[in-house]
Order: sequence, then C-alpha cells, then structure tokens
Amino acid sequence: MRRRKLGRDVFHRWEGNPVLTLEDIPFRCNTVFNGTPVKLGREYLLLLRVEGQQGYSFFALAKSWDGFHFEVEEIPVLFPAREGVFGVYEQEGIEDPRATSLDGCYYVMYTAYSKYGPRIALAKTEDFHTFERIALISEPGNKDGVLFPEKIGGRYVRLDRPIGLGVGSIWISYSDDLYAWGDSKVLLSPREGYWDSYRVGASVPPIKTGWGWLEIYHGVQMTSSGPVYRVGTALLDLEDPSKVVARCKVPLLSPREDYERIGDVPNVVFACGAIVEPDGEVKMYYGAADTCLCVATAKLEDIIMYTVSG
Amino acid sequence: MITIEDLSFRCSDIRNAGVAKVGGDYLLLVTIQGLEGYYYIYPAFSDDGYHFEVGEEPLMAPSEEGPFRVYEELGVMDPRVVQMDGRYYICYNALSVHGFRLGLAETEDFRKVRRIGLISEPDTKAGTLFPEKVKGKYVRLERPREGNSIWISYSEDLKYWGWSEVVMTPRAGFWDSDRIGASTPPFKTEHGWLFVYYGVRKTSAGPLYRLGAAILDLEDPSKVVGRTNVPILSPREEYERIGDVPNIVFSCGMVVEDGQVKLYYGAANSCICVGTTEVEEIIKACKESIREF
Repeated sequence: MRRRKLGRDVFHRWEGNPVLTLEDIPFRCNTVFNGTPVKLGREYLLLLRVEGQQGYSFFALAKSWDGFHFEVEEIPVLFPAREGVFGVYEQEGIEDPRATSLDGCYYVMYTAYSKYGPRIALAKTEDFHTFERIALISEPGNKDGVLFPEKIGGRYVRLDRPIGLGVGSIWISYSDDLYAWGDSKVLLSPREGYWDSYRVGASVPPIKTGWGWLEIYHGVQMTSSGPVYRVGTALLDLEDPSKVVARCKVPLLSPREDYERIGDVPNVVFACGAIVEPDGEVKMYYGAADTCLCVATAKLEDIIMYTVSG
Repeated sequence: MITIEDLSFRCSDIRNAGVAKVGGDYLLLVTIQGLEGYYYIYPAFSDDGYHFEVGEEPLMAPSEEGPFRVYEELGVMDPRVVQMDGRYYICYNALSVHGFRLGLAETEDFRKVRRIGLISEPDTKAGTLFPEKVKGKYVRLERPREGNSIWISYSEDLKYWGWSEVVMTPRAGFWDSDRIGASTPPFKTEHGWLFVYYGVRKTSAGPLYRLGAAILDLEDPSKVVGRTNVPILSPREEYERIGDVPNIVFSCGMVVEDGQVKLYYGAANSCICVGTTEVEEIIKACKESIREF
C-alpha cells in the first residue's frame, strides 16, 4: 500500500522559492531576508530587511499582484536615522520589520540597533514610502516586537522578546498611547528538551481567529555548531491575550531546503509576517539562512489544528 | 554598623540598605538573604543614624499576590527610597526565574507597604525614582542588563514607562569599566541632580565594586553635567574585603543633613556600614573630574 504523502512540514513551501535573493535587488547589497507583508487592495507589499555591504540593515519595498512574484523598488524606503534620539539608537541599522494595520494606518515595529544594544522602535506609515517615527518603545536588549491589530480592553498590546537571566522568552506589554508601556508579563518560555528549548520570540503580528489570537513564533534549539531556528504557533485568549490557550508541540516549519540551510546564518527559517486570504489560506513570508526571502502556505484551520492537538 | 550578630534570627547574609528619614528618626531598609537563599527587606531603626535595631519581621517579603507572586518568587532586594507627594516610594529589585525586574511600592509610615507595579522589563535592576517630577513626568534611573549602563525612563502615572535613553556607560580602562548602576536616589543641588553610583571592574578573581558620583542636568536629567574620574569609596577595610562576595562596597541610599552626607553601604555582601562626607566634596569630585596625572 502506498502511503499518503504528508509533505515535510505543515507549511508548504512555494515551489518557486526563494521569492527574493540578492540577484533580485536592483542595487548592490549583502543579503535580503526578513520581510513583512501587507495587502493593499489587490496588491501585495513586502517591507524587506536588506543588509547592505557595509554591514548594517535598512528597509526596501517589493510589490506583487499574486503574492509570489515580487518586484523590488530601486530606492530603499527607510534608512537608519542620522539625527535626534533615533540617530543614537539606529547607528548600526534597522532590522526585522513587522507591519500591523490599526486605526486606519500601518504601524511598523522594528529593531533599532546600536552599540547600546537592540531595542524596539515604532513607526507609522500609510503608503510604505514615507514613515513617521513614533518612539523607541523598549529598554535595550529587547527585540522581536509585534503589535496587535486592535486595542484590547482599551489598551494597545504588544509582544516582545527581552532576556531574563539568560532566557529569551516572549513577553506581553500594554500601552494607552503607544509611547509609555507597562504591565509586562511573561507569556511563553523555552521548553526543556523541545525544538524551542533555547529561546523563543514573536514572529508574525498576532492574527485574530475564532479560536483566539494566533501567534506564529520562532523557536531556537542550540547545537554544537550554532542555533537552529524553526517556526511554531500558539493561541492566546481573545479577551485576555496574556493567557495561552494552546501551544504547538512540534514545529510547523523547519529548515530543510538548501536555501534554508546554506547562507550567512545556516539553518534559519524566520517569519516576520503573514497574509490570511479570504479562502483561509495563510501565506507566511520568512527569511531563510539570513540570506534570502521565501514564502510558505498553509490552511488556517490546519495551523489551528496542529497548534491545539500537536 | 549591622552584622549577622545583631539579628534576632538566623540568615545567610546581609547585602545592602536603602534609607529614609522618618520624622527625626532613621530607617534602613536592609536586604537580607534567608538561609534558604531568598531575599527579604527588613527594617532597622535608629535615632542617631549610627546605632540601629533590626526588626524581627520583614518589611517586604516575596508577595503572594497577583503578578508579584510570579516575579518576586526568589526575593525582593536593593530598595531605593524617595519621599514625594507626602509619601515614600520604594523602588526595589524583584527576582524570579524570569529574571530581575524593578518593583515599585509606596508607604506613608513603613508599617503598611502597598505595591504599585512591576515597572520594568526583565533583567533591569538598580532602579531609583527622582524625588520630584521633572517637566511634568516622573523620572527614574535604571540599569538594564544589555550594555551594563545607566538609563533614564519617564512616566506620567508610575505604571507605564517610556522615552528611555542611555545616560552613562562604563569607561574602558577605568575602575568602572565593566558595569555601572545608580546607587542612591538623585539629590537636588543647585549644580544639578547629584547621585552616587556603583562601578564594577572585573578581575581574575571576580568583580571589584566601588562607588563614584555624577551630576545630571536639572532640567534635562538625561544630560551628564559631571562625573567623578576616580572612585569616592573603594573596598579597603577587612569587612569590605572579607565576606560572601569579597571586595564590595555597594550603596542604596544616603541621608543629607545641612550639607552633611551619611552614605549607607553594604560591604562584602555581609554587613551594613556608613561613611560620611559633605555634599560640596562630592560635587567638587564630580565637577573637577580629578585625573591622577
């Protein structure tokens, strides 16, 4: 009897992967990898982290009509700030953008890098060409910030990844005004013996579903030759997202393909955003091996099922 | 001033103490490590600032309530006290398996302490409020782990904090080359906000903790106006060199009376001591930034 073909992971890679590599960028750079998608009408936009040849990162924009074939604009859309308070904390680059649609515009959380360490910054945009920086919203040593797409209990909510006593966990924080944050609580920690035993961090801005807020996160396992980054999921309570309703036991995407295993940082799949199509198909965009950008798809129902039942 | 011998109960060690003046009396908030390894804050009373009586019950112990239960599981320690709006605010370190965080509590009389909130992200410690609002906002100093530097944050309600910026960093080659953090709450002078900080230098046998001082701009306390190039107190005496963690002088508070300073400090994580000087002397040390050569 022939066994039914399961596929390697719950997420199915697009056969045309990678979506974007260095070759697709209309200017010289080192790599293009983590990117966050939004859908404006019928058009897909991808805000991309591009690492320049000098070594620091900035953001470029790519556009597509089908979500798979993207064209990268010739001029990057956001560079590290050169002056003011952002100039101090973006000296070594801006990284890993996550876009959230809220209050009629888009908010982008990204990592500001400087000699003082990584911290989370927040900017606002309507068209992904002009950005208004709002504030640096975390202490240093914190990254992977994602904003919820609506206020909960009257407050803005974010997930982030600070490090306490060497352990990188996902935390949740709240704000009335997007500037001052508090009421922080730990949400998801690494699990001993698991594929996410070393470190976990928020990846995709939370997606509202009938089963709760779906958070697609990254989990890291340490090996003798470095970290392995995989994709996992959790469901948070709709009313009180500091409560974890369910958490996957196994990863939904792991590095398998050459383009995920070979690159500046081997064995990394790292998502920064996803689009949920009207038919329930989830297109998840992820950086692979810190060297190229890929897309994988799964049915929302399947993701929920694997989150709940493992 | 205070050693294990002065306590009416057994403990592991005595770390350091914040201080408040209540009426004419002196109150120390002493961090004590229990025999099991958790941390508590005990009160100690004195009418002259030198001879203290340690209370039998802790003023603050790991909380059983709400979110505090999770984040104070392993202890509460290193309190810094300021007086503001007719009450005292205690900024302390909460320790749990999730790391160090700053907790904030308030009290009118040090009999009943009410917790306000856990106000920092994890692995931030050495927090102290300013004794008054600056430009309409509450202000604090703190030491996030990343970068081992002193940062400043602001708040409108003491619960939600933001606008964080770095204030002072360790200096390569100096006595404070590895790590710094605020020790005493800032004290208002005409030259600016004066505070004592601790600086750490790593040696092959472990860290050396010393005390320095700095002055921040009155209007914009994220700006450093003066900073001592040399320490103002270093471990020298046997009680500063011998203990659970040798070679530490670590302060959490001072009392200023008519320009005279009583600086309370923990020594070698094993006893509480006091040193004295004048505000003018510390300011001079900051302003002149004494270089040895």
